[in-house]
Amino acid sequence: MVRQAGELCRKRGRASMISWRGPLSGLVLLLPVVLLLSGCPKRPEVVTAEPAAVAPRPAERVPAPEPPVERVEELQDVFFDFDKSLIRPDARRALDANIRWLKNNPNARIVVEGHCDERGTNEYNLALGERRAKASRDYLVAGGIDNNRISTISYGEERPFCLGHDEAAWQCNRRGHFVVVR
Amino acid sequence: MRCGSISRCEGSDGVTAIRRIVLVFLVFGMGLKPVSGWTQVDITVTRTVIQRIPLAVVGLPPVLLETGGADLGAHARSILMDDLEFSMMFEVLPPAFLPFEAREIRLGKEETVLPSLNSLKVQAMVSAELTKEGEDLILEGRIYNVARGTFLGGKRYIGNAKALRTMVHRLADEVVLRLTGERGIATSRIAYASRGSHASELYVMDYDGHNPVLLTGNRSINLSPRFSPDGTQLAYTSYRDGNPDLYLLNLATGQRDKISALPGLNIAPAWSPDGEWLALSLSKDGGTNLYLMRPMGRGLHRLTNSMGISVSASFSPNGRQVAFTSDRGGAPQIYVIDIEGTNLQRLTFEGNYNASPKWSPRGDKIAYISNQGGDGFQVYLMNSDGSGVQQMTTLGTNEDPSWSPDGRHLVFSSTRGGRGGQKNIYVMHADGSGQRQLTQDGFKNFAPDWSY
Repeated sequence: MVRQAGELCRKRGRASMISWRGPLSGLVLLLPVVLLLSGCPKRPEVVTAEPAAVAPRPAERVPAPEPPVERVEELQDVFFDFDKSLIRPDARRALDANIRWLKNNPNARIVVEGHCDERGTNEYNLALGERRAKASRDYLVAGGIDNNRISTISYGEERPFCLGHDEAAWQCNRRGHFVVVR
Repeated sequence: MRCGSISRCEGSDGVTAIRRIVLVFLVFGMGLKPVSGWTQVDITVTRTVIQRIPLAVVGLPPVLLETGGADLGAHARSILMDDLEFSMMFEVLPPAFLPFEAREIRLGKEETVLPSLNSLKVQAMVSAELTKEGEDLILEGRIYNVARGTFLGGKRYIGNAKALRTMVHRLADEVVLRLTGERGIATSRIAYASRGSHASELYVMDYDGHNPVLLTGNRSINLSPRFSPDGTQLAYTSYRDGNPDLYLLNLATGQRDKISALPGLNIAPAWSPDGEWLALSLSKDGGTNLYLMRPMGRGLHRLTNSMGISVSASFSPNGRQVAFTSDRGGAPQIYVIDIEGTNLQRLTFEGNYNASPKWSPRGDKIAYISNQGGDGFQVYLMNSDGSGVQQMTTLGTNEDPSWSPDGRHLVFSSTRGGRGGQKNIYVMHADGSGQRQLTQDGFKNFAPDWSY
């Protein structure tokens, strides 16, 4: 977004510079003509070339052209209920968006990470995270994405996103996280 | 080491005779399937084993390495008395209860106090002395049967000041061995995981929380340390190469081998009691299932067959069954299966999350965690058939129970007293008493495993 604004600004600047050069350049051309016409003065005639009172004309408003449309949809994370790897309706929407992105970026490969909240045993949570990662991958594959573009890994409860100890933090951590492999 | 070789134990001493009968019952009780009469005897006997031998520690007068320095004699004294008390075998008399100045009894003169100890019904005495020899310290200990007034044996240890704790621990184990015929735990160690900001590394410390030593240092996620039965190797899972793979560390040589690196999870190692097999959980075939393999990776074969999760295996001490956590019934519960893959039985039915089973080396009990009490996760014990459920902890959230090698104590992690995500390693006796904290470094310390 920021880059686009900058481009607009730059374009605006160029437009206003162009509109100022007009009257100035006329003035510069006028002076030597005036001096020539007065011959070789014994006493230089002081000709005050009064520039026409040129009020600064407002920059001609050139409408900024539409920036090329390349909407960068970041891959969205999906969230799960406690002890579940079921794809919820909100997860489905996120996964559908990810499918669109993957189809628009046919060369991209991704890793799906499975994560859990801090409750329960570390070992069980590694397996639950694995199941969440695979459930997310299976949805993408069913949506037409090639299996070879997706790998999975589980981090269990070992790499939490949110560090609190309440339901908000726990829900934040029960997720499938998508990373583009460069 | 049981009191099986009877000649090693004291002769017709009253206490040891009771102990022998008690141990015979225990041996019988372990082998049989619970039939009501035997089960009754089994439980009663387990309780009476905790009959501590009254013992006095004399000697260990002041020893200073330099003037104004610490009194190493007092230091050795407190470690020794702590070790003997914690072993559950002895009731160590506080020095104030003795009719003489305990620290003034010099080695060689201890026999003079035997009669007065006898009249106090003290049954055993340890007399010890710490002396300097150049740069080294010499610790000598002598063990007495007070009632019969007999000398049972002694030991001398030589080491430098840094080795003092280890020397005293060795003496404590010698006392336990001479007086009970059992192997002591004073020189045992606890491995555990400790999580900082981004990595969790594995450490091993003395059983009393001292001298933590770093075992991994790869700045990634390291989990599930498990000592081999002979204590020479450590199996664990590490993400050091970008995937949860299973490693084997030789603790003597430092040699590390990657023993299972199949696609997906290679987690939750568990040793068979004879050290010949490792159980582990793999996700390569869909679901997460239990497999068995040789410690160096050969002979891999599947034990469970479900599309769900089967994890956290623990062998029975006779090596014929494995307890584990599975969600095949809809939520995590504890099951048991024969190592041939047959006779699957569910053990837990209370609460909707029962996990982390650890089979006691004595065979009678399984420790585990459960949310059945409605107050977060707590450590529970149950009989190996699922009956006799007992809650062992109440403060904070308590997880990761693991047995001491003699089956008399448990180590576990607890959030009590900590802030935020802090967890510390705690130990307690198998009856839930004597709960005390071992780690206190402000990190998340978890997944302890205890070995000789």
